Amino acid sequence: MVGPQYDLVGNPLGAVRATFERTAAAAAAESGGGDPVAAFRGKDWGVCELFRSFIFEEGGIDKVPVLNASNLGLIKPNTLVRYRGMVQDMLGNEYYIGAFKDGSTWRTNKFTDFSPFSMPHPCNSHLWERHLFHCVPTPGQNSWTLESSPGPDVRRMSNCMSTEVREKRKRDGEKSENDAMDVSENGHEESSSVCKKPKEDDVHVSSGSTEVAESVPEVNGGGRHIPGSPFSCLVKIYDMPDSQVKLNDVIEFIGVYTFDPELAAPSDNPDDIMLDLIEDVTVHLPPSKVPRLHCLVWRKLSSHDFISRPPVAEPSPTLLKGIRQSLLSHFTMVLGNDELAAQCLLLHLLSRLRNRVDEVTVGRLSLNFTGFDRESASIFGNQLYSLIQKLVPYSQAIPMSIEYLNSATLQPRKDNKSGRLITGVLQLPQGSHLTFDETLLQTGSLTSKGVENTMLLKNLMESQKVDYDFEYYKLEMATDVQLLTLSEGKSNILPSDLVVPFRPSSVPAFNADAVELESWRWYLATVRSLPQSNDPAIYQMIQDDMVSAMRDDRSLGCSELSRWLTMAQIMASSFGEKSLSLEHWQMVKELERLRKERTQ
Amino acid sequence: MASNGGGSSPPSVSSPDARQSSPLPVTNSSPTEPTRRSGGRRRRGSASPYASSPSLGGFETPPHPGRRTPSGAGAGAARQQRQNWTGRFPPTPSTPMSTDDIPPSSDAGEDETDGGAGVDATPVFVWGTNISVQDVNAAILRFLRHFRDPRDAGRVDPVMDEGKYMRAIHRILELEGGESLDVDAHDVFDHDPDLYSKMVRYPLEVLAIFDIVLMDLVARIEPLFEKHIQTRIYNLRSSICLRNLNPSDIEKMVSIKGMIIRCSSVIPELREAVFRCLVCGFYSEPIMVDRGRVTEPHICQKEQCKATNSMTLVHNRCRFSDKQIIKLQETPDEIPEGGTPHTVSVLMHDKLVDAGKPGDRVEITGIYRAMSIRVGPTQRTVKSIFKTYIDCLHIKKTDKSRLHVEDTMDIDNSSASKSTEEDFLSDKVEKLKELSKLPDIYDRLTRSLAPNIWELDDVKRGLLCQLFGGNPLRLPSGASFRGDINILLVGDPGTSKSQLLQYMHKLSPRGIYTSGRGSSAVGLTAYVTKDPETGETVLESGALVLSDKGVCCIDEFDKMSDNARSMLHEVMEQQTVSIAKAGIIASLNARTSVLACANPTESRYNPRLSVIDNIHLAPTLLSRFDLIYLILDKADEQTDRRLAKHIVSLHFENPNLEELEVLDLPTLVAYISYARKYIQPQLSDEAAEELTRGYVEMRKRGNSPGSRKKVITATARQIESLIRLSEALARMRFSEVVEVRDVVEAFRLLEVAMQQSATDHATGTIDMDLIMTGISASERQRRENLVAATRNLVMEKMQLGGPSMRMIELLEEMRKQSSMEIHLHDLRSALGTLMTEGAVVIHGDNVKRV
Repeated sequence: MVGPQYDLVGNPLGAVRATFERTAAAAAAESGGGDPVAAFRGKDWGVCELFRSFIFEEGGIDKVPVLNASNLGLIKPNTLVRYRGMVQDMLGNEYYIGAFKDGSTWRTNKFTDFSPFSMPHPCNSHLWERHLFHCVPTPGQNSWTLESSPGPDVRRMSNCMSTEVREKRKRDGEKSENDAMDVSENGHEESSSVCKKPKEDDVHVSSGSTEVAESVPEVNGGGRHIPGSPFSCLVKIYDMPDSQVKLNDVIEFIGVYTFDPELAAPSDNPDDIMLDLIEDVTVHLPPSKVPRLHCLVWRKLSSHDFISRPPVAEPSPTLLKGIRQSLLSHFTMVLGNDELAAQCLLLHLLSRLRNRVDEVTVGRLSLNFTGFDRESASIFGNQLYSLIQKLVPYSQAIPMSIEYLNSATLQPRKDNKSGRLITGVLQLPQGSHLTFDETLLQTGSLTSKGVENTMLLKNLMESQKVDYDFEYYKLEMATDVQLLTLSEGKSNILPSDLVVPFRPSSVPAFNADAVELESWRWYLATVRSLPQSNDPAIYQMIQDDMVSAMRDDRSLGCSELSRWLTMAQIMASSFGEKSLSLEHWQMVKELERLRKERTQ
Repeated sequence: MASNGGGSSPPSVSSPDARQSSPLPVTNSSPTEPTRRSGGRRRRGSASPYASSPSLGGFETPPHPGRRTPSGAGAGAARQQRQNWTGRFPPTPSTPMSTDDIPPSSDAGEDETDGGAGVDATPVFVWGTNISVQDVNAAILRFLRHFRDPRDAGRVDPVMDEGKYMRAIHRILELEGGESLDVDAHDVFDHDPDLYSKMVRYPLEVLAIFDIVLMDLVARIEPLFEKHIQTRIYNLRSSICLRNLNPSDIEKMVSIKGMIIRCSSVIPELREAVFRCLVCGFYSEPIMVDRGRVTEPHICQKEQCKATNSMTLVHNRCRFSDKQIIKLQETPDEIPEGGTPHTVSVLMHDKLVDAGKPGDRVEITGIYRAMSIRVGPTQRTVKSIFKTYIDCLHIKKTDKSRLHVEDTMDIDNSSASKSTEEDFLSDKVEKLKELSKLPDIYDRLTRSLAPNIWELDDVKRGLLCQLFGGNPLRLPSGASFRGDINILLVGDPGTSKSQLLQYMHKLSPRGIYTSGRGSSAVGLTAYVTKDPETGETVLESGALVLSDKGVCCIDEFDKMSDNARSMLHEVMEQQTVSIAKAGIIASLNARTSVLACANPTESRYNPRLSVIDNIHLAPTLLSRFDLIYLILDKADEQTDRRLAKHIVSLHFENPNLEELEVLDLPTLVAYISYARKYIQPQLSDEAAEELTRGYVEMRKRGNSPGSRKKVITATARQIESLIRLSEALARMRFSEVVEVRDVVEAFRLLEVAMQQSATDHATGTIDMDLIMTGISASERQRRENLVAATRNLVMEKMQLGGPSMRMIELLEEMRKQSSMEIHLHDLRSALGTLMTEGAVVIHGDNVKRV
């Protein structure tokens, strides 16, 4: 389209307004004195298209800085920014004057909170709505994902920051007794206090890009997720069909960053209780801590989007097979030469929820490695977890101790006083990986909170659902989380699909270069999203085989057979095959045989 | 100015110039101002760009009702005032909405006698619309005067010559109490659809006229009636989903359903201010709050004083009205997947204050409003964001009283039940009732229960009965009979017992699923233990108390510790759990149905042994199960194939529900919980007769001719079970009466279960003794025979006081005489019986006759 006519990064609102005024004028001329802008309600007049083509087709995305805690104070307001985060809470809709007549020209307020023009009489304006989302850095996001798409250096850009903005910021900063340039620090403290104060040592990678986790994270407590993430963002989305964005979606928003400290100035007139009561939740999110983003373009992120460069465009089976082999041998090394465990781990990491029929979930494969004690858990567990961290975009390790169960807030809960959804550990994006270390569980009694937490975990394990507490009722949210448990004996608290006794024969070895890691990540992301299409002939063969298997072993039930089939399908995918063959089915049966030998 | 600085009153979006010249509306518009007589005030809150800005209304009322003469001239005064208003605010430029914008004529309404059908030469229009005030006025009057409830049509009543609302008005006047007239919007629609649509589209204006008409009417009937009567519209034809409210609904009348999640405290709002002169102590006349602000007199009114700036507000003499803000949240059924509930603020006034409390489900009729956000006084630019709320006209609780009849035994409505409480909306109930009328509902329910487990239909029927449950009965004497049905499933591994249990757990409102290995009966907390051998962690939870009023599913019942199992005795009959802690014995309610499943001791069921021998359970406990099912794995290839096919289809295709006539899970859950709550079937006389007859027959069957021995096929426990089962069966049909067919089916279910579990494998007959005592009648017979034979032998072979014989010798003698196979332990027990009779003495292996 128009392209370089506007400075889309530096002055996006200019482009917005200019296109609107032009389109409105054209429409007015066409309709002949009628109301030209009524048609624009809930519609794009071409400006989103303009940005979309600029960003995705003309490679403009690299020019757009990424908004994060470290550069919040540096980015100039009313410029184009990018923000990646998880939709943590939906704050409903907001009405604003979308279009109004200024003299004889129609102007718009879209993509901004403030208008440089004075508002005309109400009858010359239109009320439009937009959706508000509270977004946080994705819980458990691993550091490698942050490197994948760096924006331009903001510090260099910030030279041009106007003094006016500095002034404004200072004024605002004084209130919170913080210097304007310390906003990142500030952001840590303040916004987290909205929800729950995280402990200092709790700060994991999710605190933004400032902390690149090169150190080997500990399974025990290192990866604890922080309720109330330190850097959140209030995203305003326009013209979105309802329920297109879901809670816990991970989304990249590209839009206008605005900074209007007056907007949420604390009420200076306590007499007017009325307004305080109708007041919405955004009051608790001061603009200086929680930036506002008026979204122009957004897209949901999948794990593929975190991989910077795919080795090849088309995943061919031969290529996938090669990577599979190297990944598997690496798993074997990390797992102390336990090949069976490595196989199972691979299947586990490739599993995803494919279908949900009533209460039955198809495709999940939670894994329980047994035979750990505290010592081996700290040796193998840490190695294993740090490997997982390097492979999947979001992962967390949860120490299953009595104290943890009794104290942790696993369940997201709506606080009806503040109107906010207070996050819990189990508010996770789709495709997260959780590692439970059950070796820490000692005998002891659980409080009612502990019981509730174990129920939640069990429910998550069994039906991939988490109950969110809305005080007067519970709302079930569907999740897709991979669950790995390390325990001494079979875990009864976390009933996994696949229980594998772990038999290491050597100490773990872990060395992988960046290229290898990169290819593994690509492999996992690709295989997980590989479509499955099956030949009906194979159904019959598998059915027959199942029947004969049941004849041989009467203890086989629905759940076992269903699991076999899940594993066989993942097995087929892991070789890059689009359809399941009898060969993979036999491989799984052999795997099962080996596993059964161990359990006896 | 008493309260308003520049920044405190939320500026409306109307042009800033206008704001300077005239005080702009404040948002605290109230639908009820008892002393003010008419509409217009609704307008005051409007900050919307649509329909009503301060200059919009074609009418206004006198702000000083105190001056109103009781002669009925009030209406005239009102019109006068209105005229002033229209004069004060010349119509602003056209709104985009108005197609035919006719400015209100300044001398309109002069002779507008209570809707005198447009006598006016120049009609007054609601600003920005084509609604003529006179027309609406007349229409409302017609409606109030002439609307007759069609339901009343048949009744002959002396007062019937008056319409429904005229009667209501008279009632209000007589009682002197009512301050509001509830108007059913459906009535308005039936009478005048045009008026209805105007009312919904322009509620502020139409309701204002409504109030004026009402006041005029009242003044006519009872000139001395001082109170203000508020019109409350309810029951709109369509209610909107909270989520779907959008800018086009602003200033419209909407009706939304939701749940109150928060209530503010009651806020007193100033209505009339009284000032006192600080100099002379003179009290001013009460001053009405005008659109959110009070004009403080600058000069003392007293002639002698005339002090300036001396007036101060006297709080005690001011009049206040109540105001409250509540938050309404969407109910779970309206929330799309992956969304969070939306909320909206609702403003309540006067009588509506505290009409609902948090947790209530309500339907609110009101006017959707928007107001701009306050900006600091120094603000250069005007803020473009709006806050929305609903000015509540009417609040209706969604029929808690009718549909939430508390369970007779339900005394504790703890917080736990609060969250799971299923609310039944009337349309949902209708659907359920329709379902219940289907002739094949019983089969349909059976099919719907665990649809992916085949066969086992009778087991499923039993489980259904358990879900529906019988009526608990408490006699005046204090004795109580449980209504819960307990079921035990015994069977081979891999026969989907656990799946059935899991499924039941999901269906049951307060189900607990636990493994027998980690269950203790008591305690609301749990204990984590570790198996020292395997390192497996086990969570010991107090399953039984937690599942009070639900189904407690106990898997691996056979592995339950004896201690916990002994607790079950009490639970399954008395329905309580006793805990002794720190010297206090507490008895907790555990009104739970127990669904247990157990594996046979030899891992596979041995058909040659009795149930008792197959599972090591005390007969006392076993007898407390109403139904005991044996699920044997018959290695049926057909079933296997079906299972395999099901699994494959689950994975590969979108499994199309083969049986379309299956209730989905939520419906099934709703069906069950509705039946459990509201259906309390009673035995009909015929059914009771059938019950007696059947029972007698069952007992008779035991000593049928041909079999010498007396076999008990039924006991009193069975008749209780039968009653419970037939009640449950009646409940499935939502029937308040237990019919004969229910009893017949109950007998069949019981028999099927007994045939499986209580069949004496030696004879093939059903024998309740097997369950009751663990010894079948045939076994007992055999023992008696043996004792008799032994006695004979002893009499024969041994002398009184003679030498003792070794037991082995006796055994050999016995074997010689008898055709029966006799073991040493049989003989030993027979001799033991003889010894208690005093016939013999046993010393070790030696037997001596005494």
